[in-house]
Amino acid sequence: MIGIAAPASPQRYGRGLDGLVAGDTRIAELDGVAGRLLYRGYPIGDLVAHCSFEEVSYLVLNGELPSPDRLEAWRSELVRWRRPPDRAIEALARLPRRAHPLAQYRTMLTVAACHIPEAEDSSLDAQWRRPARILSWTSALAAAAIRHLEGAPPVGPSDELGFAANFLLQSLGRTPTAAEVRAFDASLIVQAEHGLHAAAFAALVVISTGADLGSAVLAGIGALSGARHGGANQLAFEMMAGLADPDQARLWARAALARGQRFPGFGHRVYRCPDPRVRALEPIAEELLSRRGLSERWQVYLALRDEVERALGPRGIFANVDSITGLIYHPIGLPATAFPIPFCLAIQTGWMAHCLEYLPDGAMIEPGAVYLDR
Amino acid sequence: MTELDTLSASFAWRARDLEWPVTTEVGRGLSGVVAATTRVMWLDPASGTLSYRGVPVESVAGRWSFEQVAFLLISGRSPGDDGAGFEAFRERLRSSRRLPPEVTALVRDLDPATHPTRLLRAGVSALGCWELGADDELSGDRHWRELRIVGQVAGLVAEVAAHRAGRARPTVDDRETLADGILGAVTGVAPDRADGDLLDLLWVLYAAHGLDAPTFTSMIVASCLADPYFNVVAGLSALCGPRQGGASEAVLDQLAAQPGPEHAVEWVRGVLSRGGRIAGFGHRVYRMPDPRVVILRRELARLARRRGRPEVFEAALALEHAATAELAPRGVHVNINFYAAPIFALLGAHPALVPCLFAVGRMAGLVALVREAIDDVRLIRPLSRYTGPPERRVGSASSR
Repeated sequence: MIGIAAPASPQRYGRGLDGLVAGDTRIAELDGVAGRLLYRGYPIGDLVAHCSFEEVSYLVLNGELPSPDRLEAWRSELVRWRRPPDRAIEALARLPRRAHPLAQYRTMLTVAACHIPEAEDSSLDAQWRRPARILSWTSALAAAAIRHLEGAPPVGPSDELGFAANFLLQSLGRTPTAAEVRAFDASLIVQAEHGLHAAAFAALVVISTGADLGSAVLAGIGALSGARHGGANQLAFEMMAGLADPDQARLWARAALARGQRFPGFGHRVYRCPDPRVRALEPIAEELLSRRGLSERWQVYLALRDEVERALGPRGIFANVDSITGLIYHPIGLPATAFPIPFCLAIQTGWMAHCLEYLPDGAMIEPGAVYLDR
Repeated sequence: MTELDTLSASFAWRARDLEWPVTTEVGRGLSGVVAATTRVMWLDPASGTLSYRGVPVESVAGRWSFEQVAFLLISGRSPGDDGAGFEAFRERLRSSRRLPPEVTALVRDLDPATHPTRLLRAGVSALGCWELGADDELSGDRHWRELRIVGQVAGLVAEVAAHRAGRARPTVDDRETLADGILGAVTGVAPDRADGDLLDLLWVLYAAHGLDAPTFTSMIVASCLADPYFNVVAGLSALCGPRQGGASEAVLDQLAAQPGPEHAVEWVRGVLSRGGRIAGFGHRVYRMPDPRVVILRRELARLARRRGRPEVFEAALALEHAATAELAPRGVHVNINFYAAPIFALLGAHPALVPCLFAVGRMAGLVALVREAIDDVRLIRPLSRYTGPPERRVGSASSR
């Protein structure tokens, strides 16, 4: 976020800073009317079709797609940081298995943050050296947290694999198929950045204090953990998993609609139209599910989506990205309780980009409050 | 719609009620923006008033314990009016200082030379794993209301301090105040009454101070309905930066560099003429001396005398006068860190530990403000304006 509005510009806004334009950004464009999401000018559908997560993360952070040389350098930088401190993984042994995987993951990050190089250096150069390490360490730690759910030991990285493939290898303990890698890569790409949402804003406040980029990411994860924000992909999947076939899905949806129930994975503060991330991922999820002989699950999703959108679409409520990612994570073999973790892996790219954009002249973010007398 | 005159410091606002939306000016770092309404505290930069739930801080400083002030801030009730409620609160606060052995072990596994705020954050995160399971209500509201986390942070800070000093942490004694428990861990000996009271006073003065970065970060995270451990880990992350955590160190370095009270004026002029800054001066909110400074100046004088180190106070006072003479005409005044830093040092705390000690006091205001944010049930999320490149297409890799 750059170029915070000049001091003499009044704005009108509501509770929760609703409607306040906090600043300018050159990273993502969200169009909630036409249903478009662009990173640095590129539509996400285009990026999914042509790019890897490595290229897209470079784009989101740096502003341009990498030349072949720069891509090679970025890839090797990412590979270089694939081994997080042992202490961070060992910390899992000190945590109860019943803890939420995201809380275990968070704890590993806080322990890793006790072992980072140049920890107290908050110069801009030092901050720019951090994204590769954060992306790769968090990938390894996320995989360890996911394996810990099943009581399985961590799996080491493979330096030959790309970001998505290596994460799946370390999470699943097996080499993923090309279709799995492509699908997971696409899920990373469409979730790599989403403007100044609450988690990105929390990260900005932290970076504005001069804290390191990893501390900003931890604040973002906190916001994402909340039921109102990031836990929805798990809830949406669990809702669908309880439905046996499309007929049951339709009947259940009608009954739930009649009760006025809310559906996790539907509706979005920005998109009052079909979510562009859903449209980009749907064909990929459908193909993956059918390869796995899980086409019934795809039919359940379609039945539920159509039923809910027919009733609520006129009010601007459509399936959002949380309803579709589970249909990629599940056939790959990731457990539903861990679904928020891959979302964190992807979206932290955007948080870091916003922080790095804000830093050069970033004033400490410190708004006020009105004291109520009564 | 409510029109608010924007002052350079936003806490001058006081109203019977506020009707949203509001119109304000929007400055750098969102200064001038109203992010919340609060009944917790009021800070008036013009008159130098700081009050907690309508009670001026001067009237509780030195009279009320930190535990009493925390109860006032969090519950909105005076401990005198709700004796039974306060007793239960205090019991919970003190007993939550006992930590699961695995959490202690996790902290002890880490290098004691790590910045203490990072150790504290790792400990809070681990505690959250023990306090809340995957099947618990995600918002963690129940736990929030139990307020254990305030006591737990105090317990962890004691653990971190003892680990740093290479000692075992003294056994938790429920008859002991939070301040005594921590001082015992910091110094390795049972604290005397006056020292315990002084740390308590520091916490009372630090308990709440508007939407500072740790508090505001926690409020944003809480507004997403995250559990309290996610909130506090995020809040502590905002304490990891030098702008928040390093102030104390800078003040002490500056005092150590003092050639002597009689040279304070030349020294200050020298620093300023080289474009340097005087640590412990300047505040975003106040355009007058921070009201808490008056109290701490007196306390540093007493403590320095008790320790047989009157020169510490004399050096600080001379420096304050010299710097005020130069800076006050520019609207830059002494802030609370200027006197808090040498007090923390004389109490035996290494400067790196100061942000952790500060955090214990600030937890009271943070919990109180976060609870208001949860009750307000509104996601905190501003907008941004896109000014990047227009739509373009991905070319072939070879064309890049």
